Amino acid sequence: MLTLSAEDRPILIAGGFVLVILAIGTAYTLTVQGTASFLSPAYLLQQLQVGSFLGIVAAGMMLVILMGHIDLSVPWTLAAGAMLGTAIGGPWAIPVGLGVGLLVGLVNGLGVAYLRVPSMIFTLGINAVMRGFMVMLTGGFSPRSMATPTMTWLATGNVLGVPMPLIVWAVLSVGIVLLLQRTPLGRYIYAIGNRERAAYLSGINTRLVLVAAFVVCGMCSALAGVLLAGYSSKAYQGMGDAYLLPAIAAVVIGGTNILGGRGRYLGTVVGTILIVLLTSVLSVMQMPEAGRQVIYGAVIITMLLVYGRGQKVMA
Amino acid sequence: MFRTKDVGAPPPFLELVGVSKRYGGVRALEGVDFACRRGSIHAVLGENGAGKSTLIKIIAGVVQPDEGSIRLAGQQVTFPDPLAANAQGIVCIFQELSLMPDLSVADNIGISNPPRGRLGLIDKRAQRRRAEELLARVGCEDVNPLERVANLPLSRRQMVEIAKALGRDPKLLILDEATSALTSGDVAKVYEILKSLRRDGLCLLYISHRMHEIEALADTCSVFRNGRHIDTFAAGTRTSDEIVQLMIGREMAHVYPDKPQRNQPPAPVLEVRDLRWTDRLNGISLTVGKGEIVGLGGLDGQGQRELLLALFGVLRGTEGEILVDGRPRAPGSPAQAKRKQTGMALIPEDRKTEGLMLPMSVAENISLAALGGLVSGPFIDREKETAAIERMVAKLRIKVGDLADPVATLSGGNQQKVVIAKWLLTEPRIVLLNDPTRGIDVGTKQELYQLLRDLADAGASILFYTTDYDELIGCCDRVLILYDGRVVRTLEGADITETNIVASSLNLPGAGAAATA
Repeated sequence: MLTLSAEDRPILIAGGFVLVILAIGTAYTLTVQGTASFLSPAYLLQQLQVGSFLGIVAAGMMLVILMGHIDLSVPWTLAAGAMLGTAIGGPWAIPVGLGVGLLVGLVNGLGVAYLRVPSMIFTLGINAVMRGFMVMLTGGFSPRSMATPTMTWLATGNVLGVPMPLIVWAVLSVGIVLLLQRTPLGRYIYAIGNRERAAYLSGINTRLVLVAAFVVCGMCSALAGVLLAGYSSKAYQGMGDAYLLPAIAAVVIGGTNILGGRGRYLGTVVGTILIVLLTSVLSVMQMPEAGRQVIYGAVIITMLLVYGRGQKVMA
Repeated sequence: MFRTKDVGAPPPFLELVGVSKRYGGVRALEGVDFACRRGSIHAVLGENGAGKSTLIKIIAGVVQPDEGSIRLAGQQVTFPDPLAANAQGIVCIFQELSLMPDLSVADNIGISNPPRGRLGLIDKRAQRRRAEELLARVGCEDVNPLERVANLPLSRRQMVEIAKALGRDPKLLILDEATSALTSGDVAKVYEILKSLRRDGLCLLYISHRMHEIEALADTCSVFRNGRHIDTFAAGTRTSDEIVQLMIGREMAHVYPDKPQRNQPPAPVLEVRDLRWTDRLNGISLTVGKGEIVGLGGLDGQGQRELLLALFGVLRGTEGEILVDGRPRAPGSPAQAKRKQTGMALIPEDRKTEGLMLPMSVAENISLAALGGLVSGPFIDREKETAAIERMVAKLRIKVGDLADPVATLSGGNQQKVVIAKWLLTEPRIVLLNDPTRGIDVGTKQELYQLLRDLADAGASILFYTTDYDELIGCCDRVLILYDGRVVRTLEGADITETNIVASSLNLPGAGAAATA
């Protein structure tokens, strides 16, 4: 008998669904064009490259969701990192961009940990504040917002045929996995997500853990912003808007409990790939935008319903 | 089937025949025959894991039996869910409270069937009147029906729970450890209520780990062990020792380990001077010496819990001095209290919400507090961690199949052992315990008493709050009686008797004089 832990099940289901998407897409292209373009390495690498941006945002988001919180300031943290990074330019572009993310994460973390404002409200407010700041800074003008050569290289270059963003995502992923599985901080993140009070009474500095996780999340958003600016060769307002909900969806489809305490990082990676492929296959199949949205939403809900079954064991 | 001993007696109200239940590979109940009658209080006894909880859950419709049948007043019945059992007049008061903390007392009491006015809307006034009546019936006129449940102390919440159960007009009332959080005054009230319900012809199933409650209340006792129904007998026909033997299936040695003889007081480790916090702590001073077990007694809610939380750095805005080894060390948070120079550990009151991360593994729970010391570089040293965990599992004899299983799958006693193991790994010098034996079986309790004494003998200082007078008498070198946030009396040696504890708990004017005389 095959037994699966509660964490493995969603990952396998999501992984299986990725294959289903590829199969359907391939069947479509075979009948319409007579080629299996979805299975070509070039296409898959390109999808992974596009997926890297989402994957990086989702990696940070996962830490916050694991604690039972959420970070809704992603869109404008991402945009601010990109915009301020490109505005400074030169060798300081990337450090400044990441610094913006660190700062926003710090404010988010302090607000949630010390002021005890629910993260859903606090980060939503910070998102609006950041948006205001960015509009104020640019003042309707378009300042220098060209990506630096380093940013462009990080986003579009490749090493031995592997796209750079994919490498950045992979390095970040190794870091997150080590953090979650091998460090006390990672264990504390799970502990807080399960029962913050018990974690606090176990002598864990829960506030510090909350702040640290929000800082990592902010920096991940900013990193995605910096890369995305390099990819599209400039930063612009609203560039982060398309990343918030897909990032949350990727984390949750990967089996992380939206209420915190449970989930594996591999799931978030699979969830990211699923969302990127689904979007791409639907657009290749020339599904109209409205239909794409319906299918996209339906898939997320269906996956969660499937995971929900079998979890009544604990009752 | 006709049984000769039933002749003349009324037929049982509830009858279970050949009921079995398995959870995965674990056999929770095995071929259980069980019957209880109207107009009687039927005690169900057994260690944790004996199958009592499963029995109750089957009767209340929470889980369904794999085999066997249930008959209610002679009719075969099945309960697919608790609602169906409720409809037949089966009402359960569970050990874990089922009240919504943010709703008012009246809302909670009326939650399943609120009185409705015109348009089908809830008639708030009628609901409040009804709550008042029910609260008066359980002798809790002092509880305001409009108060939020979260603002009530645990013992009052338990009384509200009983009032809520009575509001459902039960025919069969199940009380699962329903008195474990009650003060002695409330326990007396509950006794009266239960006796009057018995006169009204209700069938009462009573589960408790407290032998004297069983002696005071029960008409019939049934003992369970390892999922089997061992014996049923009329109350009073067996001594408590015999009953305990039936429960654990082995001879009981001394329940409490011997106390050490001291010629002079031990060197003080923890000193508290004039500790104050809001109106709950009104100037507490105490010392706990090296190797000493000091008990905190008194009625429930006299500041004992707050005292432990204040010492552990949980409460904000405390005044007064806390000294460890003669140096001021008032911790600002549990993280500070845990540090080596203070070396405190707190076994909290509610292991399920304060002590454990239930879905996380046994191993992760045990190593959590000491994790900072089990690292090499930035990473957790897995060999060190595993070694430490296994040392604790062996030392405390924690019964666990796989260390990777969620801690929620363990029995209550073993869960409490995990909480203690977590703190022993930090090698604490001062151990604070907040009612650690609540809802734990007799065997595990004994092990805990021995463990506390071993810790003290190894040099730890222990401050032990318990609602069970027996434990104060059996375990503690000294007992401090708290009343209204003050230490009103210190009992030592042969003075630690039930009479003295009760008398000083009530802060009777004569009690102090009698002691000094």
